Amino acid sequence: MVKSVLSSAIKEYLLAFADDEHLMGQQHTEWIGIAPFLEEDMAFASIGQDELGHASMLYALILEGSSEVDAFIFNRKPEEWRSCQLVESNHQNWEEALMRHWCYDMAEDLRWELFRESSLPELVLISERALKEEKYHRQHADALVENLLKVSTSKSRLMKALEGIVPEVLELFSSIPGETEAISSGLVSGKYCDKLPTWRSRVENRFGVLDQKLFATSDHQARTKRHLDFAPLYGRIREVFLLDPKAVW
Amino acid sequence: MKRSWASLEEFQKFLDHGGIVEPVDDMPREYRQTVFDFIEMHANSELMGGLTERDWIPKAPGLRHKMSVIAKTQDEIGHAHLLYMVAADLKIKTREEMMQDLFAGKSKFHNVFHYRAKTWGDQVAIAFLVDAAALVSQQAVFKNCSYGPYKRILKRIIAEEGFHLRFGEESVLRIAEGTEVQRNMFQDSINDWWWPALQLFGPDSKPNDLLLRWHIKSERNEILRDRWIQKFVPLLQGYGFTIPDSGLRRNEEKDRWEIGPIDWKPLKQTMIMGGPDSARRISEASDSWEKTGWVREALEKVSA
Repeated sequence: MVKSVLSSAIKEYLLAFADDEHLMGQQHTEWIGIAPFLEEDMAFASIGQDELGHASMLYALILEGSSEVDAFIFNRKPEEWRSCQLVESNHQNWEEALMRHWCYDMAEDLRWELFRESSLPELVLISERALKEEKYHRQHADALVENLLKVSTSKSRLMKALEGIVPEVLELFSSIPGETEAISSGLVSGKYCDKLPTWRSRVENRFGVLDQKLFATSDHQARTKRHLDFAPLYGRIREVFLLDPKAVW
Repeated sequence: MKRSWASLEEFQKFLDHGGIVEPVDDMPREYRQTVFDFIEMHANSELMGGLTERDWIPKAPGLRHKMSVIAKTQDEIGHAHLLYMVAADLKIKTREEMMQDLFAGKSKFHNVFHYRAKTWGDQVAIAFLVDAAALVSQQAVFKNCSYGPYKRILKRIIAEEGFHLRFGEESVLRIAEGTEVQRNMFQDSINDWWWPALQLFGPDSKPNDLLLRWHIKSERNEILRDRWIQKFVPLLQGYGFTIPDSGLRRNEEKDRWEIGPIDWKPLKQTMIMGGPDSARRISEASDSWEKTGWVREALEKVSA
């Protein structure tokens, strides 16, 4: 039996990122075809594909070349997922979907930056590719937001959505299982939570100074507690799989 | 350079000699309207096709499948986007007006998108049977299309539809070699989608079909339909599936498959928005369009 290169703590650390990317991509797909105009349908489709692609590369790394990637992803119990609540919550309005896209992508490059000098060469390559794609995600979200903030009615919609999303973003930055070992082994260059001030300054540069209270509360449970919206999402993701566990699709 | 023709006869001669019409040309009013109606319906159908398939993106069984169906839906909506722009250049309706008409149930889209994809098998059947039928039709239009902008974007559409068909073929192959659950599911999908896909070609072309006369279409509906039948009957039977047509028979003398009589009532129903899923499809699309109107209004104010 080949000895695993990655420790279980490091796999747990990478799993949090893979699950976030997977569910963020999944959430974007829910908006294809019902966005305000065709260009946005296509943009959400493109960004969703990129995020799922990142997830796929991270899962492949965790599974160290196993071909059972889908079985691993889709047969897990809810408590075995390590996604954050931001990507699990079901947003009903397009302003919430846009603001989640803005907030998540303004945080995502900061996460990939931590892998730029990783001790794992594959991660360096994945992060370089992801950082190139993320630049366009941020440009897309920010150009739309910049214009929508110029009109008072759309501005108030975005600000209300932002206030609901900021507390969820704090969990994204909170302590990630396996992080201590990931840092000591050289897998990443530092703690993700240290990037929170950078993210906050991006938010306040674009939207102005926000109520301090928004940054004070977060239900941190090390990504072990699933959002109430996770159950139906989990059901949709596994619906075809559950028809016949033996089937290869 | 703007061109004009002294009479309809001259214009017809131009088309019969392989002439290509461009948006700046002073084309006859009837030609402009006929081309517009055809492209608008194609655009609507691409968009509604994307909406038919979007239901199954979140449920796709596997990350690779999910990325494939997102890319496919993105292509369909991208085709709609290109086609609406080409149609809008004919200056009969703006893109906004075309979409409003579609969501108000005032304009048409292909019969197949008045049906609901109820299972993953249906999603695969759409890629395999419906996309193939659309591809056969689009290839025939591209071959000899007299309207330049439409011909040029059809080249791209056909290339992308070819990938969709391959996704369908690959998926059908896995299902055909799969478990009983998979095969039964796909047989149900064939039962539901065979006739709508076959009817996508429409009834036999009339002798005076304007689309043929003006070289927008290059082949008659019944010829295209038959081409599709000759391909898909042996393919599906070869995979061990049954075609839901009690009149289907092999004519050994002609070396061809012949189908039973076609019941055109379901097609006619879809033309008056009375298909099995027409009401839900239109109302959901219209609802989303209304709910996101604030974005379009705000961006219009900003660009004013």
